[in-house]
Amino acid sequence: MGVISAIGNTVAENHSALINGSCGIGQLQDFPSKYAGELPFAAVKLSTEKLKQILGVTDPSVTRTTLLAMAAFTEAIQDAALAAATLSSLGTALIGASTVGGMCLADELYRDANESYKESPYLSSYDCASVFLYMQKHYQLRGLINTINTACSSSANAIMYGARLIQNGLAIKAIVGGADSLSKFTINGFHALHILSPEICTPFDENRQGLNLGEGAAFLVLEKAEDAAGKKIYAEVKGYCNTTDAFHPSSLSDNGDGPYLAMQGALASAKLHAADIDFINAHGTGTENNDLAESRAMQRIFDHVPPFSSTKSFTGHTLGAAGAIEAVYSILNIINGETHPTLHFNNTIPDTGLTPVTTHQSIKAKHVMSNSFGFGGNCSSLIFSSVS
Amino acid sequence: MFYIQQIQCISPQQTFPQASLDTLLDPVNNKLNVIEPSYDGVPRNALRRMSKSVRIGVGAALPIIKNTGTHIDGIIIGTANGGMEDSIVFLKQVIEFEEGVITPGHFVQSTANATAAQLSLVSANKNYNITHVHRGHAFELALIDAAMQLRENADSNYLVGGVDEISVYNYKLDELDNWYKPAPVTAGNFYTQNTPGSVAGEAAVMLLATNDSANAIAAVIDIVTLHTTDIADVQLALQNILAKHGDTIDIFLSGENGDNRFDTFYTAVENELNNDVTVARFKHICGEYPTATSFALWFACELLSTSHIPAHAVKKQGSSSFKNVLIYNVHKGVQHSFILVRES
Repeated sequence: MGVISAIGNTVAENHSALINGSCGIGQLQDFPSKYAGELPFAAVKLSTEKLKQILGVTDPSVTRTTLLAMAAFTEAIQDAALAAATLSSLGTALIGASTVGGMCLADELYRDANESYKESPYLSSYDCASVFLYMQKHYQLRGLINTINTACSSSANAIMYGARLIQNGLAIKAIVGGADSLSKFTINGFHALHILSPEICTPFDENRQGLNLGEGAAFLVLEKAEDAAGKKIYAEVKGYCNTTDAFHPSSLSDNGDGPYLAMQGALASAKLHAADIDFINAHGTGTENNDLAESRAMQRIFDHVPPFSSTKSFTGHTLGAAGAIEAVYSILNIINGETHPTLHFNNTIPDTGLTPVTTHQSIKAKHVMSNSFGFGGNCSSLIFSSVS
Repeated sequence: MFYIQQIQCISPQQTFPQASLDTLLDPVNNKLNVIEPSYDGVPRNALRRMSKSVRIGVGAALPIIKNTGTHIDGIIIGTANGGMEDSIVFLKQVIEFEEGVITPGHFVQSTANATAAQLSLVSANKNYNITHVHRGHAFELALIDAAMQLRENADSNYLVGGVDEISVYNYKLDELDNWYKPAPVTAGNFYTQNTPGSVAGEAAVMLLATNDSANAIAAVIDIVTLHTTDIADVQLALQNILAKHGDTIDIFLSGENGDNRFDTFYTAVENELNNDVTVARFKHICGEYPTATSFALWFACELLSTSHIPAHAVKKQGSSSFKNVLIYNVHKGVQHSFILVRES
């Protein structure tokens, strides 16, 4: 596993922040948006130049989104001890997700598209696929490569696609995950939708005011149980389901039909009962709409809603990276037998009476569910299980 | 792998609702723009909010949604530039109003999954829904997704589509990046310029994928994707396909696009095939765009169901058999794919 986010540049740093309650949301420094000084954001604490230097990247066409992806990817392949030959094997797939891609360079895109700036190094860098096409070249990957964009559920779907490639015999290993970086584009988009919180976000709180945008990346190395024998195994991808809310382009239905069907389908795919779920890493963006719909969907599925939390209170909403970052956190729940708190929570939503976990606690975490819901009604739910 | 029960195509030529390809429209300013239908049955106010790629995607899918009657088990879309036009329109507002008060309409429409999302709304479909955006492989990865779904859920059906539009901005970026020819091109001299660059195209192709062979239009037998700049890798991939499925190709549907930088790939593939294979081309019909292989798949279905190739598409006349069609395409010199289609 590899992860980079506002709370750390490695899995170990992220884990330490999660158990210590260290929030990564704050003021944005040196960022070309007027909202940088006005609203809280969750930025990775490495400049684009520093990332380039650490990763040894000199190609001027490479964007911050790609660099974040490479940082997490590098940690993941080192953690899994993948040799160069394995990386370049036809059986090693890379399934990535992004929603911003090279559009982190908003001003440059505007310039190139409107002023015909032929010398721009970024002409092929703006789409989401550019991230994983660059990684294909850089790491000399030869297996199947994909880029998925289902808005905020993108990297949950990347994990699902990779797991299915392995199950269908189309890949032996799948490196799955996602990356997104802060962009003037998304900042203004979410601002126009009036769902950016003026304060640090408070998921599942009665008085929540919206989400904070974050950035980051995470990758996980998947392989078949029989191929993984004898290696370090963190967890099993036990179940997954992708559904649609089919209600509205940018908000969830009141009863959370899409989230309900995704959780129900993930349980069926994992051959588990609702009562088997020990902990939920909720989507929990902190918006009025999401947290209520997700809470109602959880109450429809679970007779007793298990302990749940939103780690977006640490990392902000990392969009296309969120599903993968939170998959890593869910696996940390399992291997460490622990909960991660929802920070800044004060008051339960009266309609639901649901209170997220607000402290780091020891817990039996055999089966952990991770939810990701996106614009367009794209809902995905994943279940990770301990292998012992 | 799976069968195609229905297929629809809105393209720059007469392909919707019925195809008539004997006469072709020439590109205008080196663009082949789609002929949009009247979209009967789509509410006007909903239509007005849709970008062109969403409109043509929904337009091509509606007959399939209507004909299928029963529910559809999933919607799987491949699009490289879905949402690009709205993205830059929104960005233009952001920058020109100096991050002032702007409406979110274009932002919401800018997400690449807008077509798949609209299709879920118009068909009230709460099932599997995904958008693959891996540029020149976006449609192939959607096909692979459908093939996997149909192995996992045998009695199911999936609406699978490839859609991309020529937007003002993605045309400009690709033009700056030397992907389009500066000199005017016609359907007649599309392949004979011997210069870099191609002609921009766009289309929406939607199909219904099932495991049911009864009354199927065609079978998709295999889909192979690879990233390389080395011809030997492409030749090896082709040899593997022929070894796996039998060296029985009747028609080679070549993705040649008139860009002389990439002719060597197409020639190498052509040379690997038997001498009596008929070689046909399609990009003079639909233009060049990242999901053009979805148009090729529609065209392959058309060839198989009519047993007729329009003369303008024939590069080399060989076998007159219409059983196995192999599509090969390379996008921007790196993303290669093969799709093997068989009569049903």
